[in-house]
Amino acid sequence: MHSPKLTPNEPTQHELTQHEITNQEIQWRCFGQHVALSFNKRVIYSLLLLASAVVLIAIWSLFTGSYRLSAEQVLSILLTQQAAGASDDVIWLFRFPRTLAAILVGMMMALSGAVLQNITRNSLADPSLVGISQGAALAVVIAIVVFPEFDQSYRSLLAFFGSILVTGLILFLSHSKNNHKPIRFILLGIALSAFLSAVTTAYLTYGQLYKASAALGWLAGSIDGVNWQDVRILFYSCLCLLPLLLLQSRAMAIMRLGDTTAIALGGNTEVQKYSLIAISVALAATATSVVGPIGFIGLIAPHAARRFCRCGVTSHLLLSAVIGGLLLLFADIVGRRLIAPSQLPAGVLTQIIGVPIFIFLLLRKQARSHL
Amino acid sequence: MNLAIADGKTSIIIGANGCGKSTLLKTIARVLLPASGDVILDGENIASIKTKHVAQKLGLLPQGPITPEGLTVKELVSQGRYPHQSFLRQWTSADEAAVYEAMQIADVAQFSELPIDDLSGGQRQRCWIAMVLAQQTNFILLDEPTTFLDLKVQVDLMRLLAELVQKNNRTLVMVLHDLNLAAAFADQLIMLKDGKIMHNGPVENVFNAANIKSVFNLDVDIIIDPRSKRPVCLPHLRSASVCALEPAL
Amino acid sequence: MQSPKPAFFYHKNARVLGGLLMVCAALFLLHLAIGAKALSIGEIWLAISVFNSNNFDHMVVWNVRLPRALIAITVGASLAVAGAIMQGVTKNPLASPSILGLLSGAAFAIVVALGWFGIDSPLYTPWIAALGASGAAIMVALIAHAAPGGLTAHNLTLAGAAVSAFLAAIITLFQLSNEDDFDDLREWLSGSLAGNNLDVLSSIAPWICLSLLAALLLANKITLLAMGDETAKSLGVKTTRLKLQLMLCVIMLTACSVALVGPVGFIGLVIPHVSRFFVGADYRWVIPISALLGACFLLLVDTLARVVISPAEVSTGIASAIIGAPIFVYLIKVKLD
Repeated sequence: MHSPKLTPNEPTQHELTQHEITNQEIQWRCFGQHVALSFNKRVIYSLLLLASAVVLIAIWSLFTGSYRLSAEQVLSILLTQQAAGASDDVIWLFRFPRTLAAILVGMMMALSGAVLQNITRNSLADPSLVGISQGAALAVVIAIVVFPEFDQSYRSLLAFFGSILVTGLILFLSHSKNNHKPIRFILLGIALSAFLSAVTTAYLTYGQLYKASAALGWLAGSIDGVNWQDVRILFYSCLCLLPLLLLQSRAMAIMRLGDTTAIALGGNTEVQKYSLIAISVALAATATSVVGPIGFIGLIAPHAARRFCRCGVTSHLLLSAVIGGLLLLFADIVGRRLIAPSQLPAGVLTQIIGVPIFIFLLLRKQARSHL
Repeated sequence: MNLAIADGKTSIIIGANGCGKSTLLKTIARVLLPASGDVILDGENIASIKTKHVAQKLGLLPQGPITPEGLTVKELVSQGRYPHQSFLRQWTSADEAAVYEAMQIADVAQFSELPIDDLSGGQRQRCWIAMVLAQQTNFILLDEPTTFLDLKVQVDLMRLLAELVQKNNRTLVMVLHDLNLAAAFADQLIMLKDGKIMHNGPVENVFNAANIKSVFNLDVDIIIDPRSKRPVCLPHLRSASVCALEPAL
Repeated sequence: MQSPKPAFFYHKNARVLGGLLMVCAALFLLHLAIGAKALSIGEIWLAISVFNSNNFDHMVVWNVRLPRALIAITVGASLAVAGAIMQGVTKNPLASPSILGLLSGAAFAIVVALGWFGIDSPLYTPWIAALGASGAAIMVALIAHAAPGGLTAHNLTLAGAAVSAFLAAIITLFQLSNEDDFDDLREWLSGSLAGNNLDVLSSIAPWICLSLLAALLLANKITLLAMGDETAKSLGVKTTRLKLQLMLCVIMLTACSVALVGPVGFIGLVIPHVSRFFVGADYRWVIPISALLGACFLLLVDTLARVVISPAEVSTGIASAIIGAPIFVYLIKVKLD
């Protein structure tokens, strides 16, 4: 039986920069080891692969659609950026923002789910568990059904605050000085979510049909109708939140080991926990406020990432994000094309497409790294 | 209670189930907050030191730790380097060396790429000990580290820990349930009952039949191990009447 | 574990059981009494004992309120017990019949029957629901079985979540694509105790009783299962067979409930937690207490649902969530603190 030999790296004090490339890792050290990073090769390959997939599918997304455009036309529009007629509008006003929005929303929901699953140490955690979708949904439904005269352009803002309010409530209710069981948080989230869902359904069921239909459309989660403003919101929030999250990702790694061990290792502080929850909620709430509730991506993208490649927490976050973007993008394209010219909402499609993928991943023999 | 832990020595806390040994250890490790009073580490109140700096000086192995699914041994041991790392300093050669050394000491190096779930209880425990060792702290706190280990492994582990104390001048605080193991390796023995320190001091002074009776409600005879010169307690396992019925051996 | 007979009655849990029985009876009478026209207890007693088909009030009691009350008790008990079993078997406090895809499966079958085959008759609805529920459960079980690790709690939960989400999405698609037809469906999809009579109940009741009985008999083994497969096996429990038997119970209970009132999701999740707050984790107590709690809860909810926006009524699923959630939240804060 071959047992792996471990060779410790002798620190060479005279070298300023040091690159170690082993079978599995690329290690990069410089400035006298004040910067020392290690990248898992498999993760890098996976990320590259998935990122290319995203780009390819994004390009496909630009080409497909009810409005037929030839490849040359698309390319010329993209390259010259000249608005010269309806065909340009299609690309610039509809397909491009939609594609970008799909990728960004997918990323944000996936990240939110990954963080929640880590904090709650429950692999079934999902942004909807903490009432984000339900809070947004209720806010929007009330706006549509009860105050139909209300300016619908404020819908996103309403949705966002609805989410934040609900999550805040759950956090407030689940806060306890002595008992830090994640289960409280989850149970309270479920209870509150069910409550909100019921109230929302009540408004839909007993409200007038035409108003209900409008609301129902939004509730199904649709990337239809995003504009550049929305994309900008998504992009900037991602830009702010993603680095914050990555900075905290090491803290997430030790939180997996349980509260006591995490505290003993110098982590698991209140600040860390609450900031992680805040980031997770902000990501999901922003995404939901722009396109409506999109379920399932937050649940399966982290699982899929784990099956793809075993890795540390930071890599897992990145992989989840890319997979989430890929998934939603794909769902959106299918939604546009399947029963063209009608559109199927992406939120529903993520579940229809995502589930078989999830089941496939579940069934695949787990690649445990046995020697 | 007032407790002073001697530097560079092995202090072992013993007591009956539920007397508060783990609670005491966790309070020392700042995992739990004392209801009143302070824990002083290196002259400072532990609550006022940044938790990461505490973790660089003080390591804790809790009882029954949670192992996340799918983690390999090396990954687990690497977690122990957390207090010495930061966002930019994620994996220095010092980290690498510490992990390697810890795995060698705990004798789990041959499992380094295996998932922990595949190991036996004893092997798993050694992985966790390796993690605490990788932390490279001056103070090592262990909550019942010898559970699940068979006798040879227990003894090897205790010898290893004793070496760490002697050679590397580490300070060890342990909770043990095995009285004789405690007596064999402790410099300072602390006996706890119902949340109070009943007896505290060097082993020769503290480890006697009267104290054991008062703390554990157990009748024992104390003899001295000829090899190690340490006291060994022999509980009265069978009642006198039964012994009388057996033929003389 | 033997307790001498006289001590049984002093046992805390027995008192909880007794108390709940009384509460249940009281709520039952309350449910019968309240409605468009309030009836006194005396009148109800007359209606039941000395039925006079010419008396309008008696007709109301027999044809409308009594069936409804009985169904409320039956469904409440069934869903609660189903949820308790699921949480015990999967060892996951988030488990509920909806997790196994049962509710979605039943709803899906009904939607498909309505949309594609145009089947509307209430005569067939129960059986279609049962078929859908069983189909979904079998699929979930197959997937979990095929996954690495086999029929573990973890795989069941994941597979169930997947199948539920899938079916729920398809239902939403149906709704979106054909809004007029599905206007009525919306009401049913949120669960409704309205529009049922004793015939439907009597045809389904035997199955429910059978399943409840089975659950009671298997209750102590559930406790063992909840301690872990290995522990259970070492105590002589045939875990795979037990799990299959329990799954069968859960499917039966849920399918029957869905057939009677449509998908109501909150009860199966929350009531077992509440029972465990009061009587701990011994399933010999949790199962009967859950049954009674579920029955009481649904009776209470339905009574309120009929009163609050009288003469219209709030659908059961909605009402149970709206009323149940605050109670649950309060209990979590008090008991888990």
